[in-house]
Order: sequence, then C-alpha cells, then structure tokens
Amino acid sequence: MKISKVWGVIFLIGGMVAVEAVPGFAQVDPLRRCLLCHGKAGFKEVLEGGKERPLYIDVEDFRGSAHGNMVCTICHTDVRTIPHLSRPRRIHCLQCHYEGNVVGAPVERKPEKYKESVHGKALEKGDPRAPDCRDCHTSHSVRQASDSASTVNKRHVPETCGRCHLSVFTAYSQSVHGTALSKGILESAACSDCHREHDLLPKDDPRSSLYPQNVANTCATCHQNETLMRKLGIPVKQVQAFKESFHGVAIEFGFLKVANCVSCHGYHDILPQSDIRSSIHPTNLAKTCGKCHPRVTAMVARGKIHVLPTEPSSGIVYWVSQFFKWFTILVLLGLFLHILLDLFGRFRAHRTT
Amino acid sequence: MMSYPDENPPREPQGAKIPPQKENLAQRIQKVFSDLDYPLDEEIVEEILQDVRKRVEQEIVKQRRKEEKERREAREFVTRFNLNIRVQHFLLAVAVLLLIFTGLPIKFHESAWADIYFRFLGGLSLSRWLHRLAAILLTGISLYHLFYISFHPEGKREFRLMIPTRKDFKDFWQNIRFYLGLSSQKPKFHRFSYVEKFDYWAVYWGVVIMVVSGFLLWLHDWTLAILPKFILDIAREVHSDEAFLATVAIIMWHFYNVHLNPHNFPFNPSIFTGKISREKMREEHPLEYDEIFIETLTTASTSHTTAVATSSPSSEDSSPPPEPSEHHL
Repeated sequence: MKISKVWGVIFLIGGMVAVEAVPGFAQVDPLRRCLLCHGKAGFKEVLEGGKERPLYIDVEDFRGSAHGNMVCTICHTDVRTIPHLSRPRRIHCLQCHYEGNVVGAPVERKPEKYKESVHGKALEKGDPRAPDCRDCHTSHSVRQASDSASTVNKRHVPETCGRCHLSVFTAYSQSVHGTALSKGILESAACSDCHREHDLLPKDDPRSSLYPQNVANTCATCHQNETLMRKLGIPVKQVQAFKESFHGVAIEFGFLKVANCVSCHGYHDILPQSDIRSSIHPTNLAKTCGKCHPRVTAMVARGKIHVLPTEPSSGIVYWVSQFFKWFTILVLLGLFLHILLDLFGRFRAHRTT
Repeated sequence: MMSYPDENPPREPQGAKIPPQKENLAQRIQKVFSDLDYPLDEEIVEEILQDVRKRVEQEIVKQRRKEEKERREAREFVTRFNLNIRVQHFLLAVAVLLLIFTGLPIKFHESAWADIYFRFLGGLSLSRWLHRLAAILLTGISLYHLFYISFHPEGKREFRLMIPTRKDFKDFWQNIRFYLGLSSQKPKFHRFSYVEKFDYWAVYWGVVIMVVSGFLLWLHDWTLAILPKFILDIAREVHSDEAFLATVAIIMWHFYNVHLNPHNFPFNPSIFTGKISREKMREEHPLEYDEIFIETLTTASTSHTTAVATSSPSSEDSSPPPEPSEHHL
C-alpha cells in the first residue's frame, strides 16, 4: 500500500516531467490550458435573458495576429487558476500601449487622437454603443493594417465600420468608391480615407476633414494626385478648378453654406457622371444645383462644370481667356509706347526751343 | 477797406484824379482841430491832404488790378465741359474707383495685400455689397449717359464730335511723325483729340462688358434659368479679365494723360472746373478754338461761353478748318 503510494507519486512526477518534455505538447503550446475550453467551437456563455456570448477563440486566427506569440495571461492578468471562477476583468489596450512600457508594445499618438474623436467623446459620455479600440481592431485577431486579413485593412474597413453604420455601408457599397474597392482597386477611398481613423472629428469641428472648408482638400489627397488619377483615367484638375470657382473662393472666405465637393457629388453614394442614378448625371444636374439655386433649369448642364480658363479643354472659356490675354498685352504695350513717344517728343521739342 | 474822413472816396476806375472836394476836406480838418483848440497851419493841412490823396490813389490801383484780372479771366478762359458732363464724369470716377477697390481683391484673393484689405474690412461681406452698390451707380450713370447722348441737344452734339473719323487716324500718324521728329507740324485737333476719343470709347467698351457680365453674375440664378452655363463661365472670365485691363489702362494711360504728362502735371482740372484757358485751348484744340473765336468775331457775340455751347459742329468735316488768325494771338 505504502509502496504503491510512493510509486504513484513517482509516476505522477514522471508523467508530469514527460508531459513537460514532449515537444508541442505543453511548452510549445502555452495557450493549451486556456484552449481546453476556449478552443472548443461553440463554447459560449448564456447570459440573462437567453442571449449568448461566444467565448470561442480561433487559435489559428489568434496565432496570426500581432499578439500571436503571447499567452492569454499577458493581457488577462487576473486569470490565475483554471478554471477561473470569476469573469475576467475587462482589459484595456493601454495596459501595454503606453509611453515607457517595458514589454515593447508600440506606442503612437493614436489613443489621444481617439479621445478627441466622436467615438471617444461618446464613450466618455457613457454611450454604450460607442466603439473603443476593440470594436475596430477586434480583441483576439489584432493585425497590422497592412495585413490583408486585418479588420482595419483597407479591404475590410467598410465592413468594420458597417457593423455599426449599416445604412452608410449599404450606400457606400453601391458607390463608385465602394464598387472599386470590392473589385480590389485599393487606390479607391474607404471610410478612413475621408473620415480619418482615430481623429475622426465631428464635421462642424474646423479641424475635421469633413469641415466644409476642408472637404476639397480631403478629396484632393487622391483627386489631385496626378499619377494616380491618370492611372485610373479620372480628370485631375477638378479640385483646382473648384478652388478657383466662385464656390471655392466663397468657402475660402468663410461662407460655409456654399457648395463644396460633396454638396453636388454626394458623399457615401458618390456615383460617376455616366450613371443615371448619379446626382451629377446631366439629367439630374438641374435638381442637384436646384438645392441651392432653385431657379436653374437644365441649362446648367450645358457647359463644363469644373472650368479652368487656362486649360484648352475648357473650350470657349479658354479662347475668351486667351483673347483677353493677348488683347491686354497688345493694348497696354501700345499705350506704353505712345506714352514713351509723347515724352520723347516733348523732350525733343523742349530742347529745340 | 480803410475809412477816410472823406465820405465818398473816389472809386471809379476812370476817375483817377481826386474829385474837387479839396476845399471841403481842408476846411473840415481845420474845423475839427479848431474845435479841439489846436488850430493847424496851412502847411500841415496840405501835408495831410497829400497823404490822403496818396492812399486813395493806391486803393484805386488795387481795385483796378482786381477788376482787370477778372476781365482777363473771363477773356482767357472758356467753358470746356458743362456742369452736366462734369457731374457725369465725377460719378463715373467714383463708381469705377469703388469697383476697382472692391473688385481686385477678389480677383487676387490669394495675394497678401488682398488679405490685408479683407482683414481691414472684416471679410468679404461688406466688400461685395459695396461692389454691388458701385455697380448700380455705374449702371445708372451709364444709362443716363446713353439718354444724354441720344436726346439732350448738348449730349447729341458732344457725341457727334466723339465719333472717330478718318482725320483721327491721320492725326495719329501725324502725331507719331511729329514725336519722332519726322515732321515739324503738330496735328491740329478739334474738340476731342484721338487720345480723348480713345479714352471715351475704351470706357464705353469697358462699361458695356462689365455691366453686362456683372449683372449676369449677380443674377446667376436667373441667368442659369434661361442661358447655358458656359455663358456664365464666359461672363466670369470676361468680367475678371476686362477689370484687369481697365484698371491697368486707367492707371497707365489716363493718369499719364491728365496727371503725369509734363504738359498737365500735376493735374488737369478742366473736367472738374469745366474751364480751359484760351491759350491751352488754342494749343490743344486749335480747330475748335478757331471755330469758336472766328464765329465770335463774325457774329460779335459777347459771351464766349455761350459760343462754346452753341457753336456748330458741322464745320468740322464740311469746310476746311480756318487757319488760326492773328487776331487771337
């Protein structure tokens, strides 16, 4: 009896040593213990009222994430025993991602920007719907934006935002930007290209990329990029033409009600001019312009909209501009010569008398 | 004027001599001093009389000079522009200057000086309304001018003289030759030289363009209701370009001709006073001068100013203009 007890202990220790010693069993898979439960597909918690909360972690997905080489307890520091009897505390990204952390977590200024954003402000006010880091970056499959599997990768940004902003996502998906992105044209604009990510400010904030005076510059980040626009076959001088137009000058002077890019083109549902549903399709122009100029008729569609007088493509406006340029030079030169002659003549007459 | 014991100091220009009141004055002096118990002897009375006579004579000379000057001015200056035209020019100048000052900063809105201007005015709002106010003034004065040259007899006459003729081109060529020393003969201008006609027609062209394009832009909602958008684009381009041309032309050409030109420096006030000296008129507008003053001689008209206003313009092209005669030199 005593012997068997001793042997029992020896076997137990031996077994444990063996377990520790076999590669890929315990040492190489430190997540194993947690995954005993959380690795089972369909592992979930049933909340009050019958709602379910999935507690399953896709380990392959986690391994591929930015935190894939870490164990659960690095973040879930309050889990000490298995099974843990209490619900682990909510963890916060700033546990590690703070200035001067010792685990080498990258720190950027993004959290501060986030606090200023509409989302951060809503969270601060206690809005339960307000997203924090995890809502976009996820909890367990956090990846670099450059990783195509990341929720914040450009391909997936619309869906990520669309999880909350569903109607916007629907409109965007049908827009020229949305369809292009879904076709894999990554130069197209996703939500974050216009709204920015962390410093997503309300549109009445002068710092916002959506503030009326900043809209043209926001669009200009792509639409004034000549190589990009040439590659995609899109006119590139539109932003410049807008800025020199009456609308552009007025907005520069602080008349915020004046039309900017999105007033005519729309924003989430932007469609090319050739699309009959587009607000800038020639048949819809009178209605679009009519939002501010109620008397305009289809006459508004007769002529280029974004006109730069210095561009030959502007047609008659270009020729009028050229005429005045040369006419002015000629007239002023003639007048100047006449003045010189007059002075010369007077000087000569003065000397001879 | 000083007062004298004599109650009627001689003021008539032709009465250079002291009127025969010597006895009275001497007696009265004597009487006054006798009353004061201080009788004067004859010599002193004579001295006083001499002194009074001297002063009165000086006074007469002064008065005469003044009257002479007034007469000379009436003789040497004639009315070149009537009040109506002077007021038209003044209002036009005010409107155009205001339009330039409120318009150019919009054209050059990116420049530093426009920034200073808008900071001074507190933004665009006030400036654009001043621009429209001045536009109304310009339009009003232009419409009045159209009425004036169409129906008013004076206006009709002035306008007829403004129409370019073949002579203007000849004058221009002659002037160039004169300036270059190829000819010793200066061209002889009538009421308006080709330079003045150019100025007038430049304004005419400028105002038509600016008013039409300006109103198309101002009433853009109505414009777009009836006209294609490219018309509005043209209006904007034209408004901007012509504004620049007009401004530079005014600064360079008009200011040279009426201010900086050594002949007029610093300022030719005719358009504000309405007057031009006969001498200047004979030099600058010899044909008009001859027309007026020969006519004056023949009709023995007394007033030169009426002669200017009523002299016939038809003689300009019909008969060869008379040579300036010695009478007027």
